[in-house]
Amino acid sequence: MEKWRLLVHGARDAFTNMAIDESLLISGKPTIRFYKWKPSAISIGYFQGIEEEVNLKECEKHGIDVVRRISGGGAVFHDEKGEITYSLIAPEEMLPENILASCDKICSSIAHGLGYMGVDAEFSPLNDIVVNGRKISGSAQTRRQGNVLQHGTILIDLNAELMFSLLNVSAKKIEDKGIKKASKRVTCLQAEVGKVNENELIKALVRGFEEGFGIQLAEGKMDDEEMSRVKKLREKYESREWNFKR
Amino acid sequence: MKAGNGILKGELKVKGGKLVKCSLSVKDGAIEQIKFTGDFFMYPEEKIEELEKMLEGVRVEEITEIFDEFFPKVRIFGASKQDFFDVISIAIKNLKGDN
Repeated sequence: MEKWRLLVHGARDAFTNMAIDESLLISGKPTIRFYKWKPSAISIGYFQGIEEEVNLKECEKHGIDVVRRISGGGAVFHDEKGEITYSLIAPEEMLPENILASCDKICSSIAHGLGYMGVDAEFSPLNDIVVNGRKISGSAQTRRQGNVLQHGTILIDLNAELMFSLLNVSAKKIEDKGIKKASKRVTCLQAEVGKVNENELIKALVRGFEEGFGIQLAEGKMDDEEMSRVKKLREKYESREWNFKR
Repeated sequence: MKAGNGILKGELKVKGGKLVKCSLSVKDGAIEQIKFTGDFFMYPEEKIEELEKMLEGVRVEEITEIFDEFFPKVRIFGASKQDFFDVISIAIKNLKGDN
């Protein structure tokens, strides 16, 4: 059985987190990483306008960082207290060539893992995981130099009021989804199954990936090359030039 | 919608897909500047900046030609080449509506 590396990282700041994901993407070693964000942060998709999407004043008031991702997709609130983020990195040939099929495989593995927490979750195209039609996880994928990075959030607890005060949700998007209240479209693990032990959650997700991909995950570390790249990449993610480019 | 400073804006929610927005300015019948934003996916991501450069100085009727050259170089997910064309048309229609 193929062995992949497991990185269980604790909480880091937004710029370091995004630098690590990019560094891992460049190296392309098959890896599953779990991490958190401290301080809480908003990540926006590569193509999003920062001022269009984020209430910057409100973020500043709450000490919340804002970072532009290398991946497309939408804006995400990474609540220090209420969320875990995963990333999956692998050479392209280890995943379906078709983007939707690869999203399906990754998200379905996560949904399968959430099953071990007692949550009946399923992949919802294009890039979400839902429980009874409500979003509990969103993901973004990028591919470069023959490697794939998909990262995404899994909501543990939800402070909807804070989340929607930080994000400017597009009226057009809500209109299309056919539901007026954005907060009604989202759920979290605690709302579904009560108090969540994070170690148990990681174990469940590890099992989901192992069974979904037919792999074995072994806890490992970043190598020196990956680590030294993080330093340089972090400067990019922290820069105004990068974050305000759109 | 027409924003201030002659900036035209278009917004399109792709059915079953993502949101594509564009803001552009027009000078002498050609695109002066254009920027695409939204929550779609395109790899490699930084190619979008190449597309925006390629569209500078281009007349509306020449856009298709530029698109045919550009889109084979990228993979897009959650939106299509046609959606990018349509969102420009939406923005430009706003200009015509004003005249």
